[in-house]
Parts: sequence; C-alpha cells; structure tokens
Amino acid sequence: MRRLICLILVALCFPLAVGMAAEHEHWEEVYFQANQAYKEGRFQEAIDGYRQLIQSGHGSGHIYYNVGNGYIRLNQLGKAILNYERARLLLPRDADLDFNLRYARDHIRDKVPEVRNTMSIIFFWLRSLTLGDLFWAFAVLNALFWGILCLRIFYRSEWTYYLILTILTVWLITGLSLGLKWYRLALDDRAVIVPEEVNVLAGPDVNDTVLFKLHEGTLVHCERSEDGWVLVRFQDGKRGWVQADGIENIRI
Amino acid sequence: MRKTFQTIATILLFILLPGVASGDISVSLKLDRSEATLVDSVRLTVGVYGTRNSAAKPILNALDDFTVTPSTTSSRLQIVNGQVDSGVDYTYFLQPKKTGTFQIGPAEVTIEGKTYRSNREILTVVESTQSADSDPGPLFLDASISSAKSYVEEQVVYTLKLYRRARVSDISLNLPGAEYLSFKQLGKPVEYQSVHNGRTYQVLEVRYGLIVSKEGDYSIEPSRMNLKLFLPKSHSPRSPLEERFFKDPFFSITTGRPMTVASQPLKLKVIPLPTEGKPSDFSGLVGSFQIESRLEPATVKAGESATLTVFLKGRGNVNRMPDLKVPELDRIKLYADQPTLTIEPDARGLAGTKTMKWALVPEEEGLYEIPQLQVSFFEPKHRQYKEIETLPHSLTVVPGEDKAIQLSLVGPANGGSTGVVKQEIKEIARDILPIHTSVRDLEAAHSALPGRFTSFLIVLTPLFLYAAAFLGIRLRRKSVATSAATKAKRASKAFLKQYRSGGLSWSELAELIRHYLNDRFGLSLGSVTAEEAAVILASNGVSSDATERFRTIFQQLEDAVFTGKGQEPCGTEEELSELIRQIEKEAR
Repeated sequence: MRRLICLILVALCFPLAVGMAAEHEHWEEVYFQANQAYKEGRFQEAIDGYRQLIQSGHGSGHIYYNVGNGYIRLNQLGKAILNYERARLLLPRDADLDFNLRYARDHIRDKVPEVRNTMSIIFFWLRSLTLGDLFWAFAVLNALFWGILCLRIFYRSEWTYYLILTILTVWLITGLSLGLKWYRLALDDRAVIVPEEVNVLAGPDVNDTVLFKLHEGTLVHCERSEDGWVLVRFQDGKRGWVQADGIENIRI
Repeated sequence: MRKTFQTIATILLFILLPGVASGDISVSLKLDRSEATLVDSVRLTVGVYGTRNSAAKPILNALDDFTVTPSTTSSRLQIVNGQVDSGVDYTYFLQPKKTGTFQIGPAEVTIEGKTYRSNREILTVVESTQSADSDPGPLFLDASISSAKSYVEEQVVYTLKLYRRARVSDISLNLPGAEYLSFKQLGKPVEYQSVHNGRTYQVLEVRYGLIVSKEGDYSIEPSRMNLKLFLPKSHSPRSPLEERFFKDPFFSITTGRPMTVASQPLKLKVIPLPTEGKPSDFSGLVGSFQIESRLEPATVKAGESATLTVFLKGRGNVNRMPDLKVPELDRIKLYADQPTLTIEPDARGLAGTKTMKWALVPEEEGLYEIPQLQVSFFEPKHRQYKEIETLPHSLTVVPGEDKAIQLSLVGPANGGSTGVVKQEIKEIARDILPIHTSVRDLEAAHSALPGRFTSFLIVLTPLFLYAAAFLGIRLRRKSVATSAATKAKRASKAFLKQYRSGGLSWSELAELIRHYLNDRFGLSLGSVTAEEAAVILASNGVSSDATERFRTIFQQLEDAVFTGKGQEPCGTEEELSELIRQIEKEAR
C-alpha cells in the first residue's frame, strides 16, 4: 500500500518537475538568443529578448545591465542610464556596471551637480549594499543576539555580557540601515529623462512658459503628477513640469 | 494750442470720471469666431458693463474641452452724447482639445454679493483640413522626410519648416515620440524667405537625422510647435477721441496669442538589411564610408617609433564606427592611441571621421609588413554590403644606435627593471564593458529577498525561541516553589497523623520532628538539635513562648535518645500536638 502511494506521488510530481525544467530551459533559450543577437549587432532584438525575461520575472541586475548596454549601442543614453540605474539597485557593487554607468553619464549633455545629503554621508555603506544583503546580515545578527540572550538564562558570565553589548550595537546599526534602505527604495522618486530633449515648463500645460530644457539621461526627482504631467526637481533645486512620457521612474 | 487743450481735457475726464461712472451691471460673452480647427486658438472676451472694478473676475463654465489661457484685462470708459459707459473686458484664449460643437458659457461675475450671468455662444471645432490650394493662413508647419523607404539603421533626414507671416516668440517643439525612432538634430535652425501659394513667408527650417532601429511600417506622428503669435490688432475706433488715442503706435501693441501648430503625419517603411552577402564580421555600419591610412615614417631605427594613422570616415550611423584593432606583430611593440570621433552634422545628415593611431616600436632591424585593416558596411544606395581596407604598408627598420633604449623596451626578461622609465597609464580608448552572459545571472533574480511571510518568520523565530526558553525557566522555578509551599502546608498534618497513631520510639519521634521542620520551613537538614530548632522557629516568626516550649520538649527528646532510651516507646502527649498547632498558627 505504502509503495503504491509513493508511486502515485512520483507520478504526480514528475510532470510538474518536467514542466518546470522545460520552462526554465525556455527562458535560458531566450537569454542565449538575446546574447547572440547582441554579439551580432542586432541590439534592438537583444533588448526585446531581455525585456521578455524581465517581464517574466527574471529581471536580475545582470539583465538590466545588458539592456543598458543595448541602449548604449543604439545611442539612446536616456534608456541606457535608466536601465543601469535599475541594475544598480540590484547589483550595487558590480564593477562592470559602475564602469558603464560612468561612461554613459560622461556622455549626457546636462551638467549634474554632485549633491550628497547628511544621511548618505553617515550611512555611506548603504550605497554598496542591497536590501537583500542588509536583510540577511540583520537576520544573522538577530539570531546571534537572541541566541546569546538565551545562553545567558542558563549561563551568566562577564564575557557573555560584553558580547551581548557588542552584538546589540551592531544589531541596532544593521536594523536601522535595513529600515532606511527599505524606506529609500519604497519612496524612490528618481526618474530619468528619456527623449533627447524635454522642455521643463512653469505649469502643467503646453502653453506655460518654458523654464529650462533637460536632455536625455539626466536624473530628476518626481514630486507629484497631474493629468499626464509630472512636477520634477533637478539636483540643484530647479523645479518645473514635464510631460509624463518624457521621463521614466527608476523604481522597479 | 487747441490740441493741447483737448489733450488736457481728455486726461481730466479719465481722472475724474471713474468715481461717477457706474450704471446697471451686465455681463456679455463674445467669441471672435464661431468655427475653429483643432490647431486654432479662439479669443473669448467677457465684458462686464456698469463697473470698472476689475477685482471681480468672471468664472467661466463648461470649458473642460479647451485649454484656457488668460490674456489681458482692460478697463473701458466711454462718453457718448453725455452718457457715461464704463466696464472691464477680460480676454482669454481657448485652444480646443477635441472636435465637436460646444456651448461656451455662461460666464458668471459676482459683484457686491450679486451674481450676474452672461449669454452663451456656440463654437464648432473641426479637424484641420487644408487642401494644397487653400490659404494655410499666416502660420503653418510642414514636415517631410528624405525617403519614404529605408533600411534598418539607415539615416533619413526629417525636415520641419515653420512658415509664418507674423511675429512669433516662445517657440518650443515636441517631436513625435515612438519606440525604435531616434532623432538627432542636424545643425542649427536656419531662417529664410520663401513663397508658398503666391504669398511670401518667413521660413524657420530645422532638420533631424532620423534612424530607425527595427524594421516595420511606421507612422510618424505630427510634430507640434507651441508658440505665441503676434498679429496686428484690427481695431475699429468707436469715437473720434478713441481714434485719436489708438492711432498712437503705443496702443497698437498686441499681446501674443498662444498657438499650437502641427505638421502632417508621415509614413515610413523600414526594411531589414539583406542577409545575402552579409559579411561574418559586419560592423553594423549603414551608409557610405571610406578608409584611409598612412605610416610615418616608413623607415625607422630599431627602438624608435613610427605612427600608423587610420581615418574611417563617411556618412550614416557614424556612432557605430568601430574601433579597429591591429593584430599583434612579431618583434614590434604596439601602442594604441585613444581614437577620436568627430561628428559633423550637415543638411544631408550625420557625417563623421574616426581617427585611430598606433605607435609601432620595432625591436630589431628588418622589413616588416603591416597587415591591412578591414571594415564592412552596408551601402543603401547600391543595396549591397561592402568591405573597405587600408593600404598595405611596409616598415623598414635599420640598426639602432642606442642599445640601452632597445633593451629597456624589450622588458624585464632581458633588461630587468633597472633603468626602465615608468609612464603614466594612458587611456587609449573609451567604450563600455561587455554584457553578462552567465546562466547564473538568470537565477540571481530569485535569490534576492525571501517573501514577506518568510522574512517575518526568519526575524521573529529567534525572539519566540528566547521567549519560550525564558517562560519555561520561570514556570519551572514557580512549580518548585509551589511544591515547597504544598509540602509546608501538609507538614503539620503528616506529623500529627503519624504522632497520634502512637507506637513511636524516642528516636522515631526525633526523626519525625526533623522531617516536620524540614518540610514546614523548606529545609534539607540531615540532623537538628534543640537549639537549632529554636533558632529556626524564632526566625520564622514563632513566639518566644512556643519556641521555648518546643526547645524544652526537643531537649527532653534528645536526652532520652542520648541516654539509651532511644528505642523505647515515647507515648503520645497532647502538649506536643497543641504546640505544633500553635507553631502552625504563628509561623510565617
């Protein structure tokens, strides 16, 4: 009887496992084809392939990076920077990505002032860590902290006291960093100018005064949107309205 | 003199009359036309009569289908046959958002708590239909492309011409946006005069290089230009006084009317590059390109350098011009310089030159052949792929004079590090790093963060484990304390039960008392003396009288045990039972 149940379970699970493997192979095939298209200079085809992967939930930082490379080859700086920035959310320590993003930024037309707020200076490590990195670091410290507290129930000694103080300090810093990172990602208002040039107007209407112009690849912060228009803020504090189809949010 | 008098009188009238000029208040709404196209703007004037108070702004109703731009506010004062007529005119410009017949108004004005309503007007908005022969008006935008059919990545010139017969300002242009289309402006806009349908226009022309990155049939949406149009004011004076004033050029200044002009949509068919004859190393260049090269000098001494310069130039998608590579040469060291790309857009499109340089340093004398460098591209004009290559070059190397330099160039294997001049690392070229191709990159998408429930579980499990351990210990301690209390409660009962049953020897009674004291006060004494028992009772709140009596009885008991009567029966005395009961009452 037991053997029969085992056989039935195997018979039920086998098609499921085969199906999953076949699906994985399909996406691998899409990935290989996109890579091949890129190598042969068919950049638009490569980008379309990578986009399929992103839409199917395979949007890793590497895929966004490859999309960015494709757009660089097509000379579309705005979309390239947009995808590099998205990749950076997932691969903050990737040297290739840093190099290519710097290359792309060197080619944008607008001069972007370097502005770093106090929180960025204090929590300087946040730029190099993903939310996943911080979560797992916090999970390990959390387990250590409560584990040593448990140990102290049975075995009280001076060294456990100092150990717990040390771990508590690191635990608090990591927890604070995790919260801050989550907050930043959840409220990430950064967007990239995608067309070659956009007019920034005084109000959400085509007839309003043109305040200044921004060019593809420039990073702006979105404040609010209204009827197909978005109020954006440039790094140096300049503000104005642009048409919503002229920018794309970095947040994935 | 008379003229001066008239002017002074007019000024006095303007200063003195506003206070007295008031009458019945009414509101009127006027449109400058009853039919307009989608690209027109319609002037709407709301006249408020009987007051010159411009603070009461009209509220315009039913204008959701229009973009409303407020323009001017002007006060009016008129005296006709001694009748004073005053008012305020508010001017707006309406730009239709869609076609149809619309009822404009009424406008509402509230003055001193009372609301006045204007009349309504009908406005019909139609599509902009302009035949070739019809008069396109003082302003129109024309779009054209150099070819209606092109290859992928082939450059097409997209030209926009703004024809105008009036002054315009604040021009901003919105190019059609579509995926796979890329516009690059070709030079600065040019202005010239042209004749269209027999009328002379001032033309503003701007050209864009249009490159499409994917094949297909494209419909290029109209480009839109937003601007302000200044038309001469056609004013019909209503009185001689007004005529006098408005003849002055100062009063004929017009305010700009916001306008949007749109070009016509265009069709473009983009076909893929042919696969037939496509070279395996096709660079992706589409257009017309040439390659030139030179080697200077053609004869050098060993250890000295010659420069190979290659110019790749042409017209097309010049941004895709590749960085050429010279293969490694035996006994010649190669130092590549940073390639430079110069793009020169002109009226025919994007043209550019990429200059690449290499320093060749031969190590030994001899005759060296420099390999030819090749580039492939697709030429749309002849519909075929072409390969171009540099000229063959030979480098003659004669023996060098300075052996030390030659040795230093060979490197550490021969010359060691002594005497080698260190150089700053120079960036020769700039390009992006390649794509990531590992299959693990696909899996990386799944390994970032666990789900929300799992995350909570991971974070909260250690806390729960700690809480469970803490509570477990507390409960255990509590249960030990409870069992001691129960034992204490039952100690006297157990004692009295066993004592009253009789038959106890002196030794057994002493043992029974020790058990009682242990159980009652939570002790674990192996033996106890009368003095110790008295201390235990006193420390647990038993009165001195009861303590003393207990000590005396216990002393007698000890005496009996130590004088050899330990095994003799002791009998039961009511005094001990009473004493235990008293201790139970008094002890804490």
